[in-house]
Amino acid sequence: MSGPICRIEQIRQEYSGKTVLDIDSLDIAKGGIVGLTGPNGSGKSTLLHILAFLEQPTQGNIFFQGQPCDAKTDGIRRKVSLLNQEPYLLKRSVGANVAYGLKVRGAPDISRRVDKALSLVGLNPDDFSSRAWYELSGGEAQRVALAARLVLEPELLLLDEPTASLDEESASLVKSASLKARERGMTLVVASHDMEWLKAVCDTTIDIVNGRLRER
Amino acid sequence: MDYIFAGILKAFGLLFKGDPVTYAAVWTTVSVSSLSIFASLLMGIPLGFLLGRGRFPGKRTVRTMVDTLLSFPTVVIGLLVYALISRQGPLGEMGLLFTVPGMAIGQTILGLPIVVAVTATSVENLDRRLGQTLLTLGADSRQVLLSTIVEARYGLMLAAATAYGRIVSEVGISVMVGGNIKWHTRTITTAIALETGKGQFAMGIALGVVLMAIALLVNLGVGSLRRKVDQ
Repeated sequence: MSGPICRIEQIRQEYSGKTVLDIDSLDIAKGGIVGLTGPNGSGKSTLLHILAFLEQPTQGNIFFQGQPCDAKTDGIRRKVSLLNQEPYLLKRSVGANVAYGLKVRGAPDISRRVDKALSLVGLNPDDFSSRAWYELSGGEAQRVALAARLVLEPELLLLDEPTASLDEESASLVKSASLKARERGMTLVVASHDMEWLKAVCDTTIDIVNGRLRER
Repeated sequence: MDYIFAGILKAFGLLFKGDPVTYAAVWTTVSVSSLSIFASLLMGIPLGFLLGRGRFPGKRTVRTMVDTLLSFPTVVIGLLVYALISRQGPLGEMGLLFTVPGMAIGQTILGLPIVVAVTATSVENLDRRLGQTLLTLGADSRQVLLSTIVEARYGLMLAAATAYGRIVSEVGISVMVGGNIKWHTRTITTAIALETGKGQFAMGIALGVVLMAIALLVNLGVGSLRRKVDQ
């Protein structure tokens, strides 16, 4: 059995002297979908930012594929990607947004991969690829942002409230995209208040209350 | 009013017949302003980024100074540059007084604070999520910087257009540093002032039309670039 893709130990995060996250130990199993639940301000987003190596914890260690890592670890951010609750789209076309991560990696076959990723989130590439970022609804923008992460096929994909601004149909498309991502071998951690959605998608669910974990 | 309309008619005559004096002033204006805007952008964009994004002691003071320099009178800049490059000045041996490069130095001093201030403002106003988005999509620090420049492109275009507008329309520096020498350092604006003083309205209006045409072309160019970049 393979080890966890990510392990955090003795992680503590403080803002202005106040502890917002305090986790003794957490393993993220490889190839699964882990749900994160908890009330607003419980530390879910902070945990995702730490797992994405966008925030350096006040103390503690993160091990990625068994190796100790931090934000300075070479290439670590190309293995992990985060979709924020309110994603930001670059001031470019939809196609260019989805292609961005591939371009910075110098990846081949960009056009085909972009079309495939857009299809995966239920957006017709012929209709959407050349649209400008300002021509999208909130739900479409959310799905474009998700496509921009899925196209990279990161080893660990972190989703923060991916369905918060979506209608039922879009939420369902995000669900099927998440399941397909798992089929392709990606590991997902999804923070959400949508318990039904999480129940349908996740292998494990973890509660965070006041910055501390409560595993189910 | 008749002399104004007569002047406008004569202006088109001068332009379409290719009047050499008119075109010499146009050429000098385009040369000096191109040099100045190039130097202003080259120095101003990095400095604007530093001021907009950087964290350093005295940043607020520097910002206030830059904002104050936006209203730097052109004659004062002309005076300062004249003092620097005149024979008695520290750069006197370079022979820059009454030359196009000398005028370009003055106009760069005029354009630089505009480029720095507008760039800094546009960078400050970029969405806070931008940097995080670029990082999480796998960009390294160089790619983050380049992509941030691309995201700030409208602000940078505005900086360039605003600075160019100020540079191309100034008189004080061109007169004091350039000396308004016919065929050599006479620009459109100094020629307008001179010709109007002599009662030659036609020439003044012709040059005014050219100046407005240049401003129009710059704006059309910026608009076209913006559309091209958006595609």
